[in-house]
Amino acid sequence: MAMKALDIYKLLPKTNCKKCGFPTCLAFAMKLASGKVDVDLCPDLDEQTRELLGGATRPPIRLVGIGAGERSFAVGEEFVLYRHERTFYHQPGLMMQVADTWPGERIERIMTRVRDETFHRVGEDLSVDGIAFRCESGDADQFGGVVGMVEACASLPEVVIADDPEAQAAALAHCGNFQPLIHAACADTVEAMCDLARKYGCALAVRAGDLEELKRLVGLCRDRGIENLMLDPAPATLRDFLVRSVEIRRRAVERTDPDLGYPVVFDTVPIDLPDAATALGILKYAGVIIIDELAPSSTMAALTLRQNIYTDPQKPIQVTPGLYPVNAPTGSAPVLMTVNFSLTYFTLLGYLEAAGIPCYLFIVDTEGMSVLTAVAGGKLTETVVADAIKKTDLENRVDHRILIIPGYAAPLSGKIEEETGWEVRVGPRDAAEIGEYLETGWEA
Amino acid sequence: MSEEHNPEQGNRILEVSLGATTAEGGTRERVYTVGGAGTFPFLGAGPAAGHPPRIALEICDDTRTWSPIVLREVGDLAGDTGAWAAAAETTFGADMVRLFFTSTRQRGFDDFASLGTTMEEVIGATKYPLIVEGSTEPGIDSEVYRRIGEAAEGERILLGTAEADRYRSVAASALAYGHALVAQTPIDINLAKQLNILLHETGLPPERIVIDPYTGTLGYGFEYSYSVMERIRSVALQGDADLARPMISSAIDSLNVKEVREADPETADEVAIRWEFYAAFSALVAGAEIVCVRHPGTVALLREALPALQEGSHPQEEAYGDESA
Amino acid sequence: MPTVTFLPGFHKADVPRGATILDAAQRAGLHMNVVCGGQGRCGKCVVYVKSGKITFDREKFGNFFTAEELDRGACLACQSLVRNDLRVEVPESSLVQEQKILIEARAAEIPFRPSVRKYYLELNPPSLTDTTPDITRLLEGIETRGGPAANKIYAPLEVLRSVPQLLRQGIWRVTGTVALVPGGYRLIKVEEGNTEGRLYGAAVDLGTTTIVVYLWDLATASVIATASNYNRQIGYGEDILSRVNFARKNGLSRLQRLAAESINQALTEAANNAGIDREDIHEVVVAGNTVMTHLLLCIDPGYMIAEPYVPVVRRMLSTAAGRIGLAVHRNAGVYTFPAVSNFIGGDIIADILACGITEREEISLLIDIGTNFEVVLGNSDWMLSCAGAAGPALEGGEVLFGMRANPGAMEKVRIDGGTLKPTYETINRIRPKGICGSGLIDLLAELIRACVIDRNGHINMGIRHPRVRQGRYFPEFVIAWADETDGERDIVITENDIKNLIMSKAAILGACMTLMDAAGITREDIAAIYFSGAFGNYLNKENAIAVGLIPEVPLDAVKNIGNGAITGANLALISRERRRNLDRIAQQITYIELNAEPSFMDQYTSSCFLPHTDLSLFPGVQRVLDECRIRYGGVE
Repeated sequence: MAMKALDIYKLLPKTNCKKCGFPTCLAFAMKLASGKVDVDLCPDLDEQTRELLGGATRPPIRLVGIGAGERSFAVGEEFVLYRHERTFYHQPGLMMQVADTWPGERIERIMTRVRDETFHRVGEDLSVDGIAFRCESGDADQFGGVVGMVEACASLPEVVIADDPEAQAAALAHCGNFQPLIHAACADTVEAMCDLARKYGCALAVRAGDLEELKRLVGLCRDRGIENLMLDPAPATLRDFLVRSVEIRRRAVERTDPDLGYPVVFDTVPIDLPDAATALGILKYAGVIIIDELAPSSTMAALTLRQNIYTDPQKPIQVTPGLYPVNAPTGSAPVLMTVNFSLTYFTLLGYLEAAGIPCYLFIVDTEGMSVLTAVAGGKLTETVVADAIKKTDLENRVDHRILIIPGYAAPLSGKIEEETGWEVRVGPRDAAEIGEYLETGWEA
Repeated sequence: MSEEHNPEQGNRILEVSLGATTAEGGTRERVYTVGGAGTFPFLGAGPAAGHPPRIALEICDDTRTWSPIVLREVGDLAGDTGAWAAAAETTFGADMVRLFFTSTRQRGFDDFASLGTTMEEVIGATKYPLIVEGSTEPGIDSEVYRRIGEAAEGERILLGTAEADRYRSVAASALAYGHALVAQTPIDINLAKQLNILLHETGLPPERIVIDPYTGTLGYGFEYSYSVMERIRSVALQGDADLARPMISSAIDSLNVKEVREADPETADEVAIRWEFYAAFSALVAGAEIVCVRHPGTVALLREALPALQEGSHPQEEAYGDESA
Repeated sequence: MPTVTFLPGFHKADVPRGATILDAAQRAGLHMNVVCGGQGRCGKCVVYVKSGKITFDREKFGNFFTAEELDRGACLACQSLVRNDLRVEVPESSLVQEQKILIEARAAEIPFRPSVRKYYLELNPPSLTDTTPDITRLLEGIETRGGPAANKIYAPLEVLRSVPQLLRQGIWRVTGTVALVPGGYRLIKVEEGNTEGRLYGAAVDLGTTTIVVYLWDLATASVIATASNYNRQIGYGEDILSRVNFARKNGLSRLQRLAAESINQALTEAANNAGIDREDIHEVVVAGNTVMTHLLLCIDPGYMIAEPYVPVVRRMLSTAAGRIGLAVHRNAGVYTFPAVSNFIGGDIIADILACGITEREEISLLIDIGTNFEVVLGNSDWMLSCAGAAGPALEGGEVLFGMRANPGAMEKVRIDGGTLKPTYETINRIRPKGICGSGLIDLLAELIRACVIDRNGHINMGIRHPRVRQGRYFPEFVIAWADETDGERDIVITENDIKNLIMSKAAILGACMTLMDAAGITREDIAAIYFSGAFGNYLNKENAIAVGLIPEVPLDAVKNIGNGAITGANLALISRERRRNLDRIAQQITYIELNAEPSFMDQYTSSCFLPHTDLSLFPGVQRVLDECRIRYGGVE
């Protein structure tokens, strides 16, 4: 079980020597308790204590890397069931499948999409992570040929899906040196698959629809020296995946079942609900999600969901404060003030752009808090507004002195007028009404 | 083993009944109970699984701020609130209609009589329970909620929206005319709890409250809402009675985000549906009992996915779930 | 140089042409009200120029005055430059009012072992057979008298120079004063004859607003006088930030001098009252916050207020009084308390010493409330601390009828739950002018008990009662009708006031909960809650818990230590063991930066409710509230 800071503190030397880089032993204990540092930073612990604290504070789920080169990624090293408890660290890789029975041009189209298609959102390029080769022909040579063909044109992380070790061997002959995930070993192939994983140093997925069987397979692999493992709970429905993946994650993070401390693979293809399965995999702990060819509308939504879920929940997403022209405004255009919480900003921006009314969006720094929270927490005050007016040189950017503030900031209107000398008008509370408001109620 | 798999522990989400049949004094052919679960969504078996979640299609009485993509899709229905509502149930397959009285959000609104008329029209056109959203302006709240509540008296609608600084009008209407209400707070578990306490102190029975923790749009703060829903469900199952209420989720601005607005007209519907679907589906997984969307296509997609999440979707799940108990 | 004469007291000051009237007021010893630090923003330092010439931009600052006031010569002291001799009238409202100043400190029950001692010596004169050098003879004499070993005592050159004459004039009967200093001992003074009875020390609380001095007879282990006065830096801003800003604009040495002068004024008053010579004060211990300590020692505090917020020094410092202008013996050691961070300063270490947190295994919670607050949680084994801004509401700011604890402030309020009629007590029992912090806490608690406000702080306008009404901007509750008051208006509390109060109290409770959470303890683990500072002294403990200012603990576990800073300074003056521990205490404290602590916002939001969102943390309050709900009914 995880330990509390004071329990850890009791085991530390309490010398406040600062050798760990923290000002006090208690500060170090608090970092340890939250899993943010490694116990080895303290040089003065005996072996037994080091082991005890390490076991209680190190990541309960193994970090497993897939792929080589620029687009390689790693999954695992998670600590919690719910992101609000801390954060999720390593987002799942989305691997789009190709089957070796498909026509070459279809395979090539998918390969090109995965290689080249990206969406840009909030400073990040989002893309599907790699290719999953599925052996459907049952023919090792044909499978190897397809892998070889793709391998020649793209260096992408890969999953090799074949139950037959011979087909695996044929594929790995082409891509084995680039750290693909071998998917998947089951009871009667575990030995052969382990040999392949050892030969190429790749990660290996084990598959079973039963947790005890999964654990047994993990044990067999470990006995053969294979530690880079992933778990495929072989779900036949969405609910199967949900129940099994949650159970695996729970036992791992509670540190009650170290044999389940590995990332999960979710093969969504057999479950014929691509959007729902992809979303569920992202939400419920998959490390690798094998998907069928999804339309760009789906991948865009899925990648956005992944970006959302893997955002640190304790960090408010912020927009840079400043003056943003919308729809090419002139000096007489209205100035709409709001906070730098990105949710607020983008929502408002959406409506303003849709309304097509030229205006200025005037974003003040509330440390990423929403209007309501910022007003309540004292982060949105007349001084903040006055300072922002100065910083953005607002007085010289527009030829009027009228500021429209959000409906929820109405209590501040008097104070803002006093502090800035600007005339304050209270806008609507609901961003959806801003277009209407500006069309009917705004006269500069 | 923690509490979710342990129904014996007994903490359940409170059940909220929506809609009233003729026998109960209303006119609904179907009524729903939402809530009741003793686990995180879709994990429980038997009674702990609670009641199935419901999908609502949002419509409005004044389409000026409504998404053009939806308006294109529904065509003439947009001009006839009653017909739109009827189509939501029959053509689009929604479990319920969520009617927004967007007319009340225009400045200087004073046509209070129209509210009762529209309300009656929609009641007449529909057979399932209704969610109805009134004004957001404290100055007219009292009159708006009285009119709506009165027109729907006996139907046990879900009336929205109560907020921390303007809950009395909605609560008064719900109390007077026998409705349930939506208690909305801005993405914060503490604020959600506070509003429930305040409502409790007005005398409104807890089994008539549905929590709306406010849902940010996919890509624009959705993750906050997702986590707040998970937190609310989590503390509810740990025994926090103030939060052991069903939740409603609606990523209201989904169809106004850049990605949807700027989508190629050819694929705009697809993009709109996916943008709504990923948020609504995730909300279900996080604990929402009612999810609301605006594009009819999203209703269909959700309809398709829901059964695969629910109990009995797989013959082996009992054995699997119990194995570690 | 022009002379400025201030009316009505005829205080005079000479200042260079171009100085501000505020500068002149400072020199004349007047404590002007300067909330903004002299930037012309607060409009508090209004004066009327009766004769003479000034430069003042009436256009720019005109909005602070009516036309009639301008005709009468109104201007802002901080923005008016002196051109020639002036006569200036200062209205009472522009002066800092006399507050209830806490000068009582708990009697210390600890072994009396001061760090400075005197040794009367009767030495053998040197001879041809005994040519031991003078200083060795002196130091060995001290060792013989039970003092420290001669080779451990350092004799500074200036003392050394005085030794040969003193020994011979005193006919080898002299008294040496030896102080324990970091790393050894120091001979700080040699006098003719036996002066062992004349050994005094001073403990100083160097507050941002107030300075308190305790004068001790270190020979008899007794307090012989106390004195207090305002920190004269106050003319350059009431808050710390304004002072630091002034220091950065070449004002550092000015503020250093004012700090020293303020202490000197109190020292002089105490010495005069006790009938002793200041030259016989041989040691001074100063407890002040981090900025005050920097300013007293003339160390630039400027880097503390900008990222990454670094102080120059945290540990205990010592220097000679003469080097910083303190009017005691020039070689007397001056010791300043160490700090934990910019925000947890020497004053808080002194609080910790005063309430003895580090001497017990039971867990204590220490809270020091002002505009800023500091919280310490811990025991002999560990300590956590944090600090934050509570906002001015608890000190009467941001509240329509809020005021400081001055005469006429309502300090206790009760409301009859049935009739809603308030009863109150004011400071000095005069007609009410407003409400101070403790009165505001009472009011909040009573309003919720009487069901006038909901737990969100909203006034229930459904109540039909003349005291519950819609004010100009907000709903409000009338506490005193105009005819009961000192003024012409009804004294009310508005919903906005209540909101500000709730946000202030939530910051404090949220900070306490954040520390408790970090340590993994609950309210049941807390054996004592200590309030330090003026605020706690007048606070109704039960109401403090009822509104959720502090966690719910048994009432007798809540204790006021009054002015913990002066108590701590006293302890460090009279006990060398306590003083030696100070650096260790400071180093042992783990400082938690609330802004970087994600859980704080959560704790804050859940505390923005009366008393807290989770009533199970306040079981006693819950019982009372339930009873009130039954008696007075809920809403509508």
